Amino acid sequence: MSGRSRLVVLVSLLALLATAFGVYAQTTPDENTLVIGQSVDVGSLEPSLVGSRAEANIFGHLYGTLFDITADGTLAPYLANSYSISEDGTEWTFTLNEGLTCHDGEALTAEDVVYTFQRAANPENAFTGNTVGFVFPSVGYVDARAENDLEVTIITDRAQSEPLRLGLLSEVYLHCKDYYESLTLEEAAESPVGSGPYRFVEWVRDDYVAIEAVDPSAPSFDRIVWRVIPEASTRVAELIAGNVDIVANVPPDQVAAVDASGVAAVQAVQGTRRMYVGFQFGEAFADSPGYDAIQNTAVRVALQYAIDVPTICSSLLGTECTRASSMVNPPNDNPNLTPYPYDPAMAEQLLDEAGYPRNADGVRFEITLMGPRGRYLNDANVVQAIGQYLTDIGVQTTVEILDWSSDYLPRVREKNVGPIFFLGTGGSTWSALYDMADLSAPDAGTNYTNWNNSEWFELWDSTAGTTPEEERELINQMLEVFYNDPPWLLLYFQPDFYGVSNRVAWQARRDEQVIVLDASLAE
Amino acid sequence: MMTAYIIRRLLQSVIVIIGVTLLSFLTLHLAGDPTYLYVSERASEQEIIDTRQKLGFDRPLPVQYIDYIGGVLTGDFGTSLRARQPAMELVMERLPATLELTLFAMAISTVIAIPIGILAAINRGTPFDGGIMLFAMFGQSIPSFWLGIMLILSVGLGLRALPISGHVPLLEPLFAGDFQTAFANSGDALRYLIMPGITVGVFSLSRNARLVRSAMLEVLSQEYVTTARSKGLREQVVIVRHALRNALIPIVTMIGLEFGFLLSGVVVAETVFSWPGVGRLVFNAITQRDIPVVQASVVLFSFLFVGLNLLIDIIYAQLDPRIRLR
Repeated sequence: MSGRSRLVVLVSLLALLATAFGVYAQTTPDENTLVIGQSVDVGSLEPSLVGSRAEANIFGHLYGTLFDITADGTLAPYLANSYSISEDGTEWTFTLNEGLTCHDGEALTAEDVVYTFQRAANPENAFTGNTVGFVFPSVGYVDARAENDLEVTIITDRAQSEPLRLGLLSEVYLHCKDYYESLTLEEAAESPVGSGPYRFVEWVRDDYVAIEAVDPSAPSFDRIVWRVIPEASTRVAELIAGNVDIVANVPPDQVAAVDASGVAAVQAVQGTRRMYVGFQFGEAFADSPGYDAIQNTAVRVALQYAIDVPTICSSLLGTECTRASSMVNPPNDNPNLTPYPYDPAMAEQLLDEAGYPRNADGVRFEITLMGPRGRYLNDANVVQAIGQYLTDIGVQTTVEILDWSSDYLPRVREKNVGPIFFLGTGGSTWSALYDMADLSAPDAGTNYTNWNNSEWFELWDSTAGTTPEEERELINQMLEVFYNDPPWLLLYFQPDFYGVSNRVAWQARRDEQVIVLDASLAE
Repeated sequence: MMTAYIIRRLLQSVIVIIGVTLLSFLTLHLAGDPTYLYVSERASEQEIIDTRQKLGFDRPLPVQYIDYIGGVLTGDFGTSLRARQPAMELVMERLPATLELTLFAMAISTVIAIPIGILAAINRGTPFDGGIMLFAMFGQSIPSFWLGIMLILSVGLGLRALPISGHVPLLEPLFAGDFQTAFANSGDALRYLIMPGITVGVFSLSRNARLVRSAMLEVLSQEYVTTARSKGLREQVVIVRHALRNALIPIVTMIGLEFGFLLSGVVVAETVFSWPGVGRLVFNAITQRDIPVVQASVVLFSFLFVGLNLLIDIIYAQLDPRIRLR
């Protein structure tokens, strides 16, 4: 080929590229639109099938609930304005606000609330997820009954802590009977008609969900678009480019880039997820090295001093965090308890006293620490660090990292992790008992350590039907029991990082929810 | 003879598809109990048992598989456990987006690879040839995930020349007969396609360029090319009519297989560029053990692969009359 022909080919290729690239006008949101980037799409828009945070974020705008769990953990009236409790504590009657409607104009009455609860509980619908899988069994749901148009009674099989039950019932998304009765389950999963401040507009799977304000004069943004951006780096790039206003889960190593961009900043909040190392009491690990040692309370207390939690937070999680003093999120925790400090000398002294001195090669005992990869913030590295801290005080620790979904999660659910294992469980801002419900019974599904402290469980059983003051006293006692006979090596409340555009005024919540009803354009 | 061959290949494909579905079914179940992914974090043991029953995972594996195959034979691929929608419908919904990406990447990897491969061959040993081969080596060495992120940072965020992520549908309206929307979307669709398309296609582009170069070098040394030149034909005619035509046979085979390769390689690009295609759907379905969706995708992809291979064989026979299908 001649030089001229080569030149023609080259110029043609460049022309093609130049034409294709052009100058692209980025799709910056207009002043009435808020764009949020989250890592996963909703699986379904069925209100009784909420199974992920991504779904709860969107449903929190589409559907109203009886009461509202506010950002600071207060339980505030929402579609219901008050409630009363039967003498035996099993029947709760809520009074709805007058004039409620669903987005199709249908009046929302007590009958619709009954329908919401009964539809969710109907085994023929085979719903799974939060409402049926957690809320109903937790409150002991039996049935619902309409007293009149505005009063609805939720019937349960037991008395229960008032804030705990109120908060749990506030996780049920209310919808209207006529509309949902007219749909098949498949149709309902795609065409939500809610009762909240925003109505559904469009869902393009794995791409975006768009919602718009029912009353454009009420919320700050007329339209909210939830974009699905699975890759964290891409989410951050979209934020810096100004195409997205809020993104969740900014990786710690990209926080500085966002802050330096001049168009957005990162809000680091102490989340409500409790991160801990569990001590396994179940017989499955009875033959494993280290199992016998950790059955000793003094050993478990000693190990609390071995971990430098603030350094883990600052080095591996990219933020400062305070060490947990209990399994309960502040401010609902016991104020009299102080977090165990990092004091390896104290840890070694206590282990000596407990009968586990260092042997000739410096090892006190061996143990295996299991942990997941790909579930929590920088989880595998945190587990490695904990293993090293334990090894440093003579507890020779073998770290075993497992894939979260295929291996670790099933093992956790089967309580087949140990002898010590790293885990995080979701907590709340609104109830100490909610946080403590992991250990609601020795055989509770979430008592992954198989801890069986009789004093704790007796106190737990006595919380039902108490006054708030009595309940608080019992909670404090229980947390002292937990502190002195720890089934967990207490670590931290997992920090969450939100990237927020400078054009938006919004404060991230601690409970991992992205609720933007109070977001507005920054002044 | 051709018809018999096609029928035989189609029958073979049924066995392949059954085998693939069985393998994927067993793999997903051996990777742990899927029930745990469908219960609340705080579900009790009884709730887990109830959910297992609701999802049908309490039945013996052979029963579950036979049920599934029975459904497939009647056109029922099951319902997604997560989305509660027909599994095949979900897959088909995303197929146009994946086809756009795959076809675009394929276009890049052939339209660019063939001319630069030819140019490299006819300029063998020159700096131009060296540059092309260096590029090809880089193209085959760069991890697509890294390339995608770099494109986003440099072209999307740095130059603001192309959209960082997202998708504008092109084939979907086209398949639906909405030509007006397809035409209106075409400009934006192309812009959204470029970076993910390059990410998916650059490996194949590099490999194809090297393949074209070596095929051309081999053909250019043949005596009939010398004869063509000695007849006084123009060099362009020699290259295009005599050399390229004969060099095309291995290239066509590779390009045919390329489609399958690209189709299976889009997961990374779809994730990095938030592209709502089948790759991401399958990836999520695997992590969530949404078995009906995985199976529906497997069946569809198996059909596509088998169909493509068949098509390549037929084209192959047309290109080279010495090849006969038996």
